[in-house]
Amino acid sequence: MSSTVQPRGSTKIALSVHSWLVYLFFFAPIFVLVVFSFSADRNVGRWGGFTLQWYQDFTEHSQLQNAVWVSVRVALLSTLISVVLGTLAALALERFKFRGRKVFDALLYLPIIIPDVTMAVMMLLFFSEFFDVLDAWFGLDLQKGLGSITISHIAFNISFVSVVVRARLAGMSEVLEEAALDLYATRWKTFRYVTFPQIIPGVAGGALLALTLSLDDVVITQFAAGPGATTLPVFVFGLIRRGVTPLINATSVLMLTASVFLVVLSLAFQQFSGRSGRPSLRAARQAVSAKPTTNTHIKEGIYQ
Amino acid sequence: MTVVEERREAEVATPEFEKAANRAASRRGFLLSLPAYAYLVLFFAVPLVIVLIYSFATRNRFGGTDLSGWNFDAYRKLSEPIVRDILFRSLWLAILTTLICLVVAYPFAYFIATRRPLVRNLMLVFVMIPFWTNFLVRNYAWRVLLGNDGLFTNISEALGLGERELLFTTSAVVIGLVYGFLPFMVLPLYASIERIDLSLIEASRDLYASGFQAFRKVLFPLSLPGVIAGSILVFVPSLGAYVTPEILGGAKTTLLGSYIVTQFLTARNWPVGASLSFVLMAVMLVATLVYFRSGGKNL
Amino acid sequence: MGDGGDHSVNDASAAVQLSAITKRFGDVVAVDNVDLEIADGEFFALLGPSGCGKTTTLRMVAGLEFPTEGSLKIFGNEVGTLPPNKRPVNTVFQDYALFPHMTVEANVAFGLKMQRVAKAEIAGRVQEAIGLVRLEGLEQRRSQQLSGGQRQRVALARALVNRPKVLLLDEPLGALDLKLRQEMQRELKALQREVGITFVFVTHDQEEALTMADRIGVMNEGELLQVGTPEGIYERPVNRFVANFIGQSNLIDASVVSGDTVCLADGNHIPGRSDLPVGTRVALCLRPERVEMHPVTAVPAGHTSISGRLESVTYLGNALVYTVANEWTELEIRLENQPGGFRPYVGDDVAVSWMPDAVTVVRA
Repeated sequence: MSSTVQPRGSTKIALSVHSWLVYLFFFAPIFVLVVFSFSADRNVGRWGGFTLQWYQDFTEHSQLQNAVWVSVRVALLSTLISVVLGTLAALALERFKFRGRKVFDALLYLPIIIPDVTMAVMMLLFFSEFFDVLDAWFGLDLQKGLGSITISHIAFNISFVSVVVRARLAGMSEVLEEAALDLYATRWKTFRYVTFPQIIPGVAGGALLALTLSLDDVVITQFAAGPGATTLPVFVFGLIRRGVTPLINATSVLMLTASVFLVVLSLAFQQFSGRSGRPSLRAARQAVSAKPTTNTHIKEGIYQ
Repeated sequence: MTVVEERREAEVATPEFEKAANRAASRRGFLLSLPAYAYLVLFFAVPLVIVLIYSFATRNRFGGTDLSGWNFDAYRKLSEPIVRDILFRSLWLAILTTLICLVVAYPFAYFIATRRPLVRNLMLVFVMIPFWTNFLVRNYAWRVLLGNDGLFTNISEALGLGERELLFTTSAVVIGLVYGFLPFMVLPLYASIERIDLSLIEASRDLYASGFQAFRKVLFPLSLPGVIAGSILVFVPSLGAYVTPEILGGAKTTLLGSYIVTQFLTARNWPVGASLSFVLMAVMLVATLVYFRSGGKNL
Repeated sequence: MGDGGDHSVNDASAAVQLSAITKRFGDVVAVDNVDLEIADGEFFALLGPSGCGKTTTLRMVAGLEFPTEGSLKIFGNEVGTLPPNKRPVNTVFQDYALFPHMTVEANVAFGLKMQRVAKAEIAGRVQEAIGLVRLEGLEQRRSQQLSGGQRQRVALARALVNRPKVLLLDEPLGALDLKLRQEMQRELKALQREVGITFVFVTHDQEEALTMADRIGVMNEGELLQVGTPEGIYERPVNRFVANFIGQSNLIDASVVSGDTVCLADGNHIPGRSDLPVGTRVALCLRPERVEMHPVTAVPAGHTSISGRLESVTYLGNALVYTVANEWTELEIRLENQPGGFRPYVGDDVAVSWMPDAVTVVRA
C-alpha cells in the first residue's frame, strides 16, 4: 500500500471523524424510522413503549394490501418482460451489425437519461391519446391501471436491463462463441451452452435492477396509474402528503427491508457468481462507468 | 477412392455469397433487436412525440387541449415571472445541492480510497445500502426526523435552542436532496480517486508542495472526471426532483418537477406542462453530452 | 510453389488447398489472392508480422470468416461456404478460449456432445484425449484454476478429441513465457507426430516457425510471399522482406550485371548468382554468421570482401557481434568467441569477407 500518502496526524483524525459523520447522516434517519415504527405512541417522534400494532395495522389495511399486490405483480411482470427484451437487445447490439443499429442504440439509451417527470408526462399523454383511439376503434372503455403501469415500467426497465447485460457481454470474449461454433455447436446451442451461462450474472443483475426500479418508482407510476390500481409507493406517497402516521412508518420499514434484501441478494450473487474478488469496488467503478443516469437510475451500475 | 463423407459439397466462395452471409447476419441482429425496438418505438418514441405535439398546442377554456393551431405560447410562458422564478429556484437549489454534495463527498471518498482493501470494501458497502434503499422511504425518514414532534425538534428544544421549524422550508428540501443524491457523488469520486496513482502526491510533496498545494495542483485536477461525473449525476436529478420537495418542501418552495405535475393534475394546462418537460429533458441531454465529452465514458 | 520436391501434393490428398483465396473487409484487402497447398500429416506454419493476413487465412480455413473469393478445399472437398460447425477442422485459439463455466472434462467433451456422440464413447474419448496431453487428475478443475501451460493442453485436448482432419492453431504459444514456450514447442511437435494429424499454426515468431514447422508460408500485407522448408526459406529467401523477417540479414544494395555478377554501390563487381534481368535492383543477403572478418591486407583467397571501419563490438559471451561500416553500407558480423582469433579494435580498418556461395541475391 502507498503508506506514505495515507493521511496522517490531525488530517487523518479529521477525515476519519468526517467519515463517521457521513455515515451518521446516512443511517441515523433510517435508524430513527425503524425504531419509531415500534413505538406505541401515536405521535411519531415520541417513544411510547414497544408495539407491533402498526405492523398489524399494515396487514389489515386492505388498500395497502391491494397496493402491495399491484406492486408485486407489476414488478414481476415488468421485470420478466424487460429481461427478455433487454437481453435480446443487448445481444443484438453487442454481437451484430445491422441497419438501424445506431438509432436503436440511442432510443434504448433515452429512457435512462430522461427525467422521471418528463417520462411521467409522456405516459400520461400517451395513455390518454392511445386509449381514446382504441376506445373509438373497438368500442372499448379502457382504464389506466395495472396494464398501463406495467407497460410504462417495461419501457424504462428494458434500457436498464440491456445496459447491464451489455456490460457483461462486452466483458465476455466473442472468441468463446467462435470456439463453440468450431466445436460443432449450432448457433442456438452456442447461445444455450456458452453465451447464456456466461451472461447469467448480467441477466440476474439486470433483473434485480428492474425489480428495484419498478418497486421504487413514484412519479411515472403516478401518471400511468388510474382508478383501477395503484402501486405501494404511489399509495404511500399519497398518505405521506396527508401527514406522518405510525402506519406509514411501519410500511416504510417494510419497504426498506425489501430494498435491503435486494441489495444483499445482489451482493451475495456477485460473490457467488465467481467473478468476485472485490465486488463492491468493481461495482463502484461500474456505477460510474455505466451510462450516466438520473435519479435512482445510477443503481444499474451496482449490479454489473 | 471416393471420399466417404456425407457432408454436402459446398460452393466456391464468391463476393455474392459473402454479401448474402453478411446480410443474413445483419438480419439476425435486426430480428433480435426487433421486440425491444418495436416496444420502445410504440411506448417511448411515440409518447415523446405526443408530448412534443402537446407543447405546441393551446389550452382551451374547458381545461382541455386543442391540438389545432399550433403555436409557441406554451414556450413563451416560460418567461413569465412565476415560471421564471420556479426555474431559477430549481436551478439554484440543484446547484446548491451539488456543491454541498461535492464538499461533503470529496474528503469522504478520498478517505475511503486510501484505506486498505478490506476496510475500503466495507466502507463502500455501507454507501451502497442507502444508495439502494427506496428513495421515497429515505425522504420520508427525514420527514419523521424533522417533523413537528420529530426527534430533531425535540433535541433542539432540549438543548435550549428553541423550537426550530425546518420542515416545509427550502433547507429541508436541500437536506432531502443531499441525503438522496450524496451516494451519486461519493461513488464516482471514489472511483476516480482510487485510480489515481497516489505516489504522484508523494512526488509533489517531495517537490516541496504543501498539503493544500498537493491537493490543488495534483489530486484535484486528476480527479476532475469524477468531480464532473458526480456533479452531473447529482445536479440533473436534483433539477427535476419531484418527490423530495413534495414531502419536505412547502407551498412556497414549488420546484420545476412539482410545477410540471401540477400543470397536468390540477391546473390542467397540458401545453405548458409539456413544454416544461421538454425543456427539462433538453437540459438533461446537454448535461449528458458534457459528461461524455469530459471523458465520462472511459472513467 | 516453394521448394516442391518431396512435398508436392495432388488435389485429392492435400489436407488444405487454397486457390486464389481473397478476403476483403470493406476496402481493406486482408488476404490477397493466396494459393496454398498443405499436405496430409504436415506441420505447417503461417508466419508473418501482425496484420499480415495470416490469422484471417486461418480463420477462413476454420470457417470463422468466409472468403470473398476463391476455392478452399479440405481433403478435396470444397468447404469455403460452410459454417465452422460443418467443417472437419478444429481450432486452438490464441488465448485458448476455454469455457470458464465448465470443468476441464466438460470443455473437452463439448465438441463430442454437440455432435451427439454416444455418452459411453464420449467418456472414453475424453479420457484418452486428457491422457494424450497428460492432464490426468485435473478433470474437475476449471480453467481459472489452471496454469497457462495447462490451459494450452486443455485447448489441445478439446480440439483433438474430435479427431479433426486438420488442427488449426492461432499463435498457440503466444501467451506463454519463454521457458514454457520452448518446452511446449517440443511437446507440440511430438504430439503432432503421435496423432499424425495435419497441424496448421499461425505465428509471428520466426524462431517458433523454424523450430516446429515442416514447411513455412511467409505472409506480408495479405500476400503469401514464399512457401518452403525452414532451411529453404532461411537459405534462399525470395525477397528482402523474407530475408529480413526470417533470421537476421545484412542486406547490401546492388544491381544485376550478369547471371553471376552484381554491381555494388561503390561500382565494384562481385559474384552473386541470380536469374533476374540485367539492371534489376537487388539486395545481397548475407547472414551475420556466414561472414568473416580479416585485416584489410589478409583477405583469404577466393573470398569476396568489402572494407570498412569497425564501429562497435558487442560481447555476447559465446559470440561477438561486430559492426563494420563504410560510406555506403553497414554490416553486422557474428563470430564465435574463440581464443586466438582476429580481434580488431573499434576504429580499425577491417575487411569483411565471405565465400561466394554465402550470398543470396534477393529482389530489393
